[in-house]
Amino acid sequence: MKALILVGGFGTRLRPLTLSFPKPLVDFANKPMILHQIEALKAVGVSEVVLAINYQPEVMLNFLKDFESKLGIKITCSQETEPLGTAGPLALARDKLIDDSGEPFFVLNSDVISEYPLKEMIAFHKSHGGEASILVTKVDEPSKYGVVVMEESTGKVEKFVEKPKLFVGNKINAGIYLLNPSVLDRIELRPTSIEKEVFPKIASEQKLYAMVLPGFWMDIGQPRDYITGLRLYLDSLRKTSPSRLAAGSHIVGNVIVDETAKIGEGCLIGPDVAIGPGCVVESGVRLSRCTVMRGVRVKKHACISSSIIGWHSTVGQWARVENMTILGEDVHVCDEIYSNGGVVLPHKEIKSSILKPEIVM
Amino acid sequence: MKALILVGGFGTRLRPLTLSVPKPLVDFANKPMILHQIEALKAVGVTEVILAINYQPGLMLSFLKEFEQKLEIKITCSQETEPLGTAGPLALARDKLIDGSGEPFFVLNSDVISEYPLREMIEFHKSHGGEASIMVTKVDEPSKYGVVIMEETTGKVEKFVEKPQIFVGNKINAGIYLLNPSVLDRIELRPTSIEKEVFPKVAADQKLYAMLLPGFWMDIGQPKDYITGLRLYLDSLRKKSSAKLATGSQMMGNVIVDDTAVIGDGCLIGPDVAIGPGCVIESGVRLSRCTVMRGVRVKKHACISNSIIGWHSTVGRWARVENMTILGEDVHLADEIYSNGGVVLPHKEIKSSILKPEIVM
Repeated sequence: MKALILVGGFGTRLRPLTLSFPKPLVDFANKPMILHQIEALKAVGVSEVVLAINYQPEVMLNFLKDFESKLGIKITCSQETEPLGTAGPLALARDKLIDDSGEPFFVLNSDVISEYPLKEMIAFHKSHGGEASILVTKVDEPSKYGVVVMEESTGKVEKFVEKPKLFVGNKINAGIYLLNPSVLDRIELRPTSIEKEVFPKIASEQKLYAMVLPGFWMDIGQPRDYITGLRLYLDSLRKTSPSRLAAGSHIVGNVIVDETAKIGEGCLIGPDVAIGPGCVVESGVRLSRCTVMRGVRVKKHACISSSIIGWHSTVGQWARVENMTILGEDVHVCDEIYSNGGVVLPHKEIKSSILKPEIVM
Repeated sequence: MKALILVGGFGTRLRPLTLSVPKPLVDFANKPMILHQIEALKAVGVTEVILAINYQPGLMLSFLKEFEQKLEIKITCSQETEPLGTAGPLALARDKLIDGSGEPFFVLNSDVISEYPLREMIEFHKSHGGEASIMVTKVDEPSKYGVVIMEETTGKVEKFVEKPQIFVGNKINAGIYLLNPSVLDRIELRPTSIEKEVFPKVAADQKLYAMLLPGFWMDIGQPKDYITGLRLYLDSLRKKSSAKLATGSQMMGNVIVDDTAVIGDGCLIGPDVAIGPGCVIESGVRLSRCTVMRGVRVKKHACISNSIIGWHSTVGRWARVENMTILGEDVHLADEIYSNGGVVLPHKEIKSSILKPEIVM
């Protein structure tokens, strides 16, 4: 089976992290974002993943060669020369997605984190016999999204309503599709929207079905949702593989710590914390609701919450870092500094406190 | 003869431009910053230039291979693995700078733009017979800099005073040196400051001489000074090679326009404007005190002043761009937008006005 992952462009919403790596390679819960998806696809028998990108293919391909051999899965890139929207890339990658097997192929949006119930989705797709299946997820405020209106019992999709003013339903497109090769005949090689142009046609022919995504779902393409997403992900890990979470008297709630990280005495870590490879968390540190990327050193008595600390950065002694502070790669926050929502570009030293949210370039 | 150019690090003060290319390769008056210096060095017989860098050597070397052939000068990099300050890099590059000829070598700071009176400096150095010569320049507010105290007649340097509280003199280090190889014996391979540690010792031995830099001088390492620097540079060009400046009824004051740029009807361009290769300036555009980098399109009736428009960006029709707006590479300002000091990172589209100076990431 094959899969296409819509990687897209510049990842500007996840800056400053994406100033150092293309977005799919930004770590989430100690693993590159895209690896979560590739592993889920491999687990259901996908043998080839095509990445639809329009930026920095070489950086991506180098990195992915590593995973290709480790995972035993083929990974290629399909590069747009002009932005093709959410459907155009499928047409561009047509030759890679269609083999003679006639099997359906997956399409995933690279910003999505979820439990990836792909085996169930394959079964669902076979059972309804339609042309396309999509996963939908329930949200509290559907008016901000594209709502999918469907027959509850069969899942057959009636229509899509963009940002509805009145309540028409609370299920939105989760960005995970399983499509028959015939769907490709509906997509021209030009900028096209899968939600606005392709799916509505399939729905009108009664051939589009939606399955409600069990478990969590998050679009982690921006820092606030990245942090919420980590909470949901670790929550899910607690239920499915609790041995992967850290345990100990200094751990509170769900925490994931890479084997190669070191944590000093008297720390209090958690809830909802990810500590990456090679990190050094010195003694007396408090971490909550934050991600500490590869190679970071957090010095004694520092206190970090609701923030993301980028690769190889350091946080000084007694520093207080909170409220959506995002430190890019190689950022050094001096001792006793306070950062209230500072967003700091790579290779910077912070020698004076950031009292209100601002970008430091 | 040889020369060392201190390129240094990440160029964070010139972001967002330096998010796309390393600082020495950022264009100034339609030519990469470092090329201004390399050409001046070549003109006085320097055969080898060593770039002391600590970031992105791969990118620099690729670009410079091109210049190596065009200019017929050898260009190499000397890469610091830890920051070595302003003198340490000389020790690191020792073997490249000393060739047995006993000739002095130049050291330049890569952020400096000036008239580079290097031939006069060679004469000066020979005539005083000391160990080191430095260029100094007059400034209005010396208290912000390191002031050089010298004997007016001979130029012999008595001492350096960092940021003097009372007036002691108004000449500061211009960042251009001509040094005998023996100076290298004074520098250890560790982080060292040439102004604080090395030169004061040479001065105490009565062997350091300073020459007053005729003409303009500017440290263009940050946007405001980059813009002032362009004015000074074009002013100097007016005196020396006015044929390089653009003429015509649409031009006002000093303007430099690349051969491959296209300018429409009814424009008013200048003063102090640089328009780069492949730019398209549509009709009715007003440009003053700004730089428009390679491949930019400025649409009809737009008005840009005191700003820098990065490579391949577009400025929409009737847009008004002023007050130190800096657009990074591939930034697209929609029609009728107002930008008052917006600083925009690469690959962004600006669809609503920026009313006060801020960073858009």
